[in-house]
Amino acid sequence: MGSEYAIEAEDLRRTYRARTGWLRPRRTEVEAVRGVSFTVGRGELFGLLGPNGAGKTTTIKLLNTLLIPTSGMARVCGHDVEKETREVRRRIGYVFGGDRGLYDRLSALDNLRYFAELYGVAPRDQKRRIAELLDLVGLAGREGERVEGYSRGMRQRLHIARGLLHAPDVLFLDEPSIGVDPVAARELRRTVADLASTGTTVLLTTHYMAEADELCDRIAVIADGQIQALGTPAELRRRADGRRVVEVEAYGVPESAVDAVRDLPGVRETAVEARGALQLLTVHSDAHVDVQSDVLRELAGIRLGRVDSREPTLEDAYVAIVSAS
Amino acid sequence: MTFPSLLASAVAPPLFSPPTPHRRRPHRRERLGMKTLRLMTVGGTIAYRALFNWTTPGMFIGTLLVGPLFQLLFFAYLGRQLQVADDRFYIVGNAVLTASLACVFGGTMAVANERRYGTLGHVLLSPRSRTAIFWGRVIPYAGNGLLIAVVTLTAGALLLGLRIPVSALPGLLLAMAAGSLACGFFGLTLGALGLRFRDVWVVSNVAVALLLLLTGVNVPAAGLPGWMVTVGNALPITHAAEAARRLAAGDGLAAAAPALGQELLVGAGYAAAAVILLKIFEVESRRRASLDAL
Repeated sequence: MGSEYAIEAEDLRRTYRARTGWLRPRRTEVEAVRGVSFTVGRGELFGLLGPNGAGKTTTIKLLNTLLIPTSGMARVCGHDVEKETREVRRRIGYVFGGDRGLYDRLSALDNLRYFAELYGVAPRDQKRRIAELLDLVGLAGREGERVEGYSRGMRQRLHIARGLLHAPDVLFLDEPSIGVDPVAARELRRTVADLASTGTTVLLTTHYMAEADELCDRIAVIADGQIQALGTPAELRRRADGRRVVEVEAYGVPESAVDAVRDLPGVRETAVEARGALQLLTVHSDAHVDVQSDVLRELAGIRLGRVDSREPTLEDAYVAIVSAS
Repeated sequence: MTFPSLLASAVAPPLFSPPTPHRRRPHRRERLGMKTLRLMTVGGTIAYRALFNWTTPGMFIGTLLVGPLFQLLFFAYLGRQLQVADDRFYIVGNAVLTASLACVFGGTMAVANERRYGTLGHVLLSPRSRTAIFWGRVIPYAGNGLLIAVVTLTAGALLLGLRIPVSALPGLLLAMAAGSLACGFFGLTLGALGLRFRDVWVVSNVAVALLLLLTGVNVPAAGLPGWMVTVGNALPITHAAEAARRLAAGDGLAAAAPALGQELLVGAGYAAAAVILLKIFEVESRRRASLDAL
């Protein structure tokens, strides 16, 4: 392996062009990835964080050869993703979250047998390798059942087993824990950490800050198709230094009250997250300004729940970075 | 088992290989050939079970055996009524044609159903030869088509009292196999369009109707306009049906050989076309992001 990096991306760009309508065709262009550059060292566990539509999945698909970059260059293990696709594909595994991507009518065993053929696992190794992976992901004993009867968590584990069939040098994990219950998610994190400890390079996208914080050596925050911040979790957390966070649970906060809070002196960002009937109002302020009493005054007359003032977390740093983009 | 050993085990060569003095270790090219053959046969069979919609006994018998048999009977009785041709013309021709249902739709399913399951991306991430992966998928469909053609011919002959010389049976089997294989590659060519277009089933439905009309199975070629005959000559089944009719009439394999050769030539043409289209559309899908519509 020639390159010192497992993954190199240089000014990577990808534009989607679509045409709708027959009589009066309308052309639209969306620039999903706009000049993304980063490197991932061999054996590194690298996180790609960003809101929906930020360009995470497009970046992964550019790196794993499913998409051709509009411009820019990317290499995996020193091989160009556009021109040396076969060499790249031999060295990568791809796991994405969700229910699809498996043959429902086949058993887990047959799914793995088929992909073992496709991914070039030597016939003499297939049986042992599949048995080991089934054991690893906790599907041993259930491998003969049709996948259509599997829960989402079981499907997810099967996705991971498939991604590891050919012992790839680089593993792309695209939101692998989406929709997985907390216990299964914890097992998944342990599996990913174990993988990285064996020298496998992992590029992980996730929405869960705790997951990224726990697992990743470095994290790139991507928004609007561009990398907004890149560093270790500790470095990113420092982006929120000098801030204080007030969280208020409320019921029926009008937009005018949120605007009023946003205009308070010392307030940097305000976000409202709906959680069923409840709304969680998160207010970032300068650390030296106590805005809690001012916030509560602006929310007078509104039914409130828990009120909390705390130090910023990685999630707050992420919100700050994404909000600033 | 720990992770390091697990990950290493798939790639590490065995530490000790016992000497095998009586067996020559295959050369690299031979090993590659064996691997490719395995991908085509084992992979093709698993893909068939994964992607073919009519594998359950009810669907298989109803859709692929009973339906085509009634089609054969319909045209045979219509032929008797209109006195266009004798029973042999319809029974043999329609029996060869019945393979097309499994082969055309099977070939389409071999690609289009990957979209349905969201597995197309994972298949395209394979470093293995696309030709081996997708040609391998044709083999079970062609076998399926052959089985259906044999069952339909047997049932049709028994029901309508057609006598076929026993000496013609091997040749007939060959003709039906050639038709099924050509039809399988024709289906794969249509299926390749599934990499580019989502509604590829429309094309398959039209293709099956065209085969019914243009292959000379139910309407003698002499009764068709010249351009239809030309198109029919480029379709699978046309020449296989002609060869099968000659064999069933007792003309012998030598008389049927030219038509048989033409059928194989047509099949080879579609096999090449399928590979070229799959290659073009795969590159196109990476360029246009059409796989994102999974």
